[in-house]
Amino acid sequence: MNSNDTSSSSKRMGRRSFITTAATASAALAFARPAKLLGATISPSEVLNVALVGIGAQGRVLLEDTLKIPGVRFVALCDIWDYNRQYGEKYLKKYGYTVKSYRDYEEMLAQEKDIQAVIVATPDFLHAPISIAAMKAGKDVYCEKMMSNTIEGAKSMVRSMNETGRLLQIGHQRRSNPRYLVAKNRLLGEANLLGKITTANGQWNRAVSEDLGWPNKAAIPKATLAKYGYDDMHQFRNWRWFKKFGGGPLSDLGAHQIDIFNWFFGGPPISVTADGGNDYYSKHEWFDNAMVVYKYNTPQGVARAFYQVQTTTSAGGYFEQFMGVEGTLKMSENPKYTAVYREAYARDWEPWIRRNFLKAQAAPVYEASSDAVVDARETAALAAFDIPVILNKPAHQPHLENFFNSIRGKAKLNCPADEAFNSEIAIFKACEAVMTGKKIEITAEDLKI
Amino acid sequence: MSSSSNPTYDTKDHSWAFITLRLWLGTRTFLAGLEKFSEKITIQQPLLDANGTPDSSGAVVEVSKKVYGISHYHGIPEALKTKFLDEPLLPQFLTAPFYASLGYILVVLGAMLLLGLFTRLSLVLTGVLYTMLMLGLLLIHQEDGVAWLAIHAGLIAYALTLAKHNRFSITR
Repeated sequence: MNSNDTSSSSKRMGRRSFITTAATASAALAFARPAKLLGATISPSEVLNVALVGIGAQGRVLLEDTLKIPGVRFVALCDIWDYNRQYGEKYLKKYGYTVKSYRDYEEMLAQEKDIQAVIVATPDFLHAPISIAAMKAGKDVYCEKMMSNTIEGAKSMVRSMNETGRLLQIGHQRRSNPRYLVAKNRLLGEANLLGKITTANGQWNRAVSEDLGWPNKAAIPKATLAKYGYDDMHQFRNWRWFKKFGGGPLSDLGAHQIDIFNWFFGGPPISVTADGGNDYYSKHEWFDNAMVVYKYNTPQGVARAFYQVQTTTSAGGYFEQFMGVEGTLKMSENPKYTAVYREAYARDWEPWIRRNFLKAQAAPVYEASSDAVVDARETAALAAFDIPVILNKPAHQPHLENFFNSIRGKAKLNCPADEAFNSEIAIFKACEAVMTGKKIEITAEDLKI
Repeated sequence: MSSSSNPTYDTKDHSWAFITLRLWLGTRTFLAGLEKFSEKITIQQPLLDANGTPDSSGAVVEVSKKVYGISHYHGIPEALKTKFLDEPLLPQFLTAPFYASLGYILVVLGAMLLLGLFTRLSLVLTGVLYTMLMLGLLLIHQEDGVAWLAIHAGLIAYALTLAKHNRFSITR
């Protein structure tokens, strides 16, 4: 069922009148075809009323992906910027939704009693207050990563989740990506293809970009900006570079890869050293480039992970790579960066090819020849394999589906806030290591909620 | 020297030699035609766990599979077609019907050779067909392919000299 069907199905089951000419045809179609989820029909009682808070770039991605999921109905939007709210209203109208629109999330939570879930995609510093208010109001919450721009903010979210008993899914969407799940559970777990993993590395490099602007006519009044903590529109639009609003590139970009380190290694690192600085941008509060080394205590022994985030070059793209004595797994949300390499001496992987865990690449990455060998000590070329698992939907959709299915009691959250906190602490401590130039130990006390 | 004039030169040997050639050429021609109805397709299927049940992650894998069918027919590879488009001696009003019928002709001729149906005629037609294929390859300077077809032509020519010893066939 496509998103049009979803929206019209929701309309039919809702209290509000959604009669629009554009939706009439699809509503008729929805009567004929009940919404399907994981092969099961969704009953009207399982349709979830959802509100979206924050309709910026990431909020729009989540809005679009949620619309593809059957059995979810948008009932409210919230954003302090009229420009974003108007975008959201118009976008949802195309799908047959007429939603209530709010500037203030507290007002929204007070008015919209029938909301079951709130999606939070605001700047990081607002994640904690909004998520906590929503959970206290009895809503389940999907909150974008990072959880907060402070350790205390992130801890308060976990505490609130535990106290209210509500669900709090953090938007590390790779944790619901079947390619990552198969890599972790099958390739590394069941098949143990890599043997003992001693090293990991990862990066997200992004090219230089200008600060974000805004249409002059759409500027938010000074008083409204001040109410939410912003000095001006530049701060509002470029909050990621300000310490009181966000966590900088290690938080914005690095959180994705560092969370995978923690997830695959089974816990947070025990120490971190790092360096970084404002090497290019002169007016940003946060450093633009950083290089980090984590030390992990894993069930297999000590492993070290190197991570770099560069906002001044896109070289190499974004990936997470795990290197074991028998092979290497290179993962990325982008399949073109993904591969598995077998060390020349490692056992045969044929059984796993037969199980469709792996697929031999068409051509070797490197053809050894007498001319190509530059050093007699060079290790033989590694055989390269693909992971044939595909994700035939947008990257965030499986994670949102996991959240909605968990609300229905049909699944368990793939990234609850208490697990995500391990990544929060790893990132906050890396930022501290960059700023102090010291090796930072991550202790049990740091992890205490 | 004919076999009939030399009793030590057993005609049975000629028959076996011919049958060997007929089987080889028939199989070669039949399969060359059949392969034109095949295609490597990619299908999506659930990843299965060790017990054969779908993986709990709901993962779907892409698996390559070779399939046969009329709908998968391709006369010659697209890359060759593109090259032949530039050849003035290969006008499209001739090549288009040739591409469309090549696979069917190869299958029929191969089957006729294997069954021993109008064997001489089948051999001659197969020889003509391979000569036509050689013509295309010659024009685009694919010398390896020309040499490869020349071996086929030689085998067909030799088979024709032995055709009178044909046995195990539907027609003589």
